[in-house]
Amino acid sequence: MFSVKMTDTKLLKDMFQAIAILVDEATFNVNPENIQLRAMDPSRVAMIDFQWPKTIFDEYQCDQPQKICVNIAELLKLLRRTGRDETVQLTLTPDTPKLQITITGKYTRTFNMPTLEPQEEETPTPKITFKTEAKATTEGLKQAIEDAQLVSDHVRVEADPEKITLQATGDLMGATIELKKGSDALLDLQTQEPSKATFSLSYLAEIIKAASATSEIATLQFANDMPIRIDFHQPKEGKLTFYLAPRIEVE
Amino acid sequence: MGVNLKDLIPKTQVSLHDLTGKSIAVDAYNALYQFLAIIRQPDGTPLKDKSGRITSHLSGLLYRTSNLVEIGIKVAYVFDGTPPAMKEVEIKRRMKTKEEATLKYEKALAEGRIEEAHSYAQATSRLKDYMEEDSKRLLELLGIPWIQAPSEGEAQAAYMTQKKATDFCVSQDYDSLLFGAPSLIRNVTISGRRKLPRKAVYVDVVPEVVELDKVLNELGVSYEQFVDLGILVGTDYNPEGVRGVGPKTALKLIREHGSLDGVLKHLEDVSFPVEPQRIRDVFLHPRVTDSFTLRWLDPDVYGLIDFLCRERDFSEERVKRALVKINKGIMEEKARTTLDVFFGSST
Repeated sequence: MFSVKMTDTKLLKDMFQAIAILVDEATFNVNPENIQLRAMDPSRVAMIDFQWPKTIFDEYQCDQPQKICVNIAELLKLLRRTGRDETVQLTLTPDTPKLQITITGKYTRTFNMPTLEPQEEETPTPKITFKTEAKATTEGLKQAIEDAQLVSDHVRVEADPEKITLQATGDLMGATIELKKGSDALLDLQTQEPSKATFSLSYLAEIIKAASATSEIATLQFANDMPIRIDFHQPKEGKLTFYLAPRIEVE
Repeated sequence: MGVNLKDLIPKTQVSLHDLTGKSIAVDAYNALYQFLAIIRQPDGTPLKDKSGRITSHLSGLLYRTSNLVEIGIKVAYVFDGTPPAMKEVEIKRRMKTKEEATLKYEKALAEGRIEEAHSYAQATSRLKDYMEEDSKRLLELLGIPWIQAPSEGEAQAAYMTQKKATDFCVSQDYDSLLFGAPSLIRNVTISGRRKLPRKAVYVDVVPEVVELDKVLNELGVSYEQFVDLGILVGTDYNPEGVRGVGPKTALKLIREHGSLDGVLKHLEDVSFPVEPQRIRDVFLHPRVTDSFTLRWLDPDVYGLIDFLCRERDFSEERVKRALVKINKGIMEEKARTTLDVFFGSST
């Protein structure tokens, strides 16, 4: 038996939207303490590591650890039917393989949708020694990425002790975006050694756009030609972390 | 052609962009026949060069391949070898259909019924030896690997996918599944739409992934039973199948009686063009080869222009546009890394 109830339905929708950026069929690991998901996108370029403790929910019931796999886009379609001040309850009983979604508020509706064969393969954690750690506002990151997207489809992220520089070079145009340490966008910056790596802007933009709906502050970690790790700070020990593989710069 | 299992098969729609970085083994004959059928002028005449050689297949191959490479999909084509002897019935049937269609096409054309002529023309497509040679030559110039199957191309593609040399088989036919392909993609087209036969109507075509595991799971049968099911419905080796037995009945019968042998004991007046056991063997133990190498190289730009523009009268501008796409895909491929590299030891 697994059943959770949530009144902050906006957060629920935003979080599932962030998961849907990378994953079509989402396999959640649920246990009596929390709900987790760790998965890569089909191209294995990006990874999501998500965890919500039971305290995020208004009610949380889970007898034993189990895997629940659902089509996340289909689930989102149903969740989008929730209005303000309404409550969502997700229930999976051992009697049926269908997930029940009950939305209560102005009136009550109960949907059910099939659960799918869970993915058995566990996604490991990338092992990376990061050289730079930065704390930024998600709004600031979002704006900077949107600037870069105007001219290119990839961006070089570079850190020195004073600032982070985003360098985007397109076929015709280019852009240089500086985030100074201590500015509104870049709250903190620690650099052990100068670090730079290049990333796909389509991934970066989608991740940051979706995840910033759930979080105002993010911690970025990167190093020379290593994947970037972005932690979107969550309330109550929740976790929403993304890894994105770098691009190799061919000159 | 191929086994008709459409209604039974669970499939997932995907976008081609989801396949970036993946490799696919394309049933070359299946693709070439599609190009020969579809790429025609309004009155049904295929594309030809100045000396009358058909070039529809080259046009299709160039544009489809460049579109896939641009997205970052690694394409390999698998060509049929010698068909199993018992495919004779089906091959004769196809020849007859084509002869009939040719007569109808010529009549329709003579009488000025252009649309009908076009539709009959599509059914007349024949893959001549020179077309296969031209196709292979084009692929080599493009730097795209092709594999010669000892027998059925679909069987070889399925084998390569089992061996994880490629991630997916690509064919319109479900036969790949009978050959044991772990994953099959259908509807890998450029335009994303397909013309309905005999109608001036296009339907949106979305690529779909079919996974053998899921199919067997959903149907509740083993792989061997699935092959038996296919034989009941009808395959290229027994096109008629068993009279009165469609996909749903076949599934019911297999579930009830366990195997083809079991089912046949309960049916009367069933005849097969060849021993059913031989058909099973072709699917369960197909002739395939381990001697294949998959290497993707940079295209030979001058060679391509020489072949397509000088010898086969392609427009240089269109060929160059295809090359731009291919180069973009290759550059992108070189730049891309996956997270897998970083799961190992810390550096």
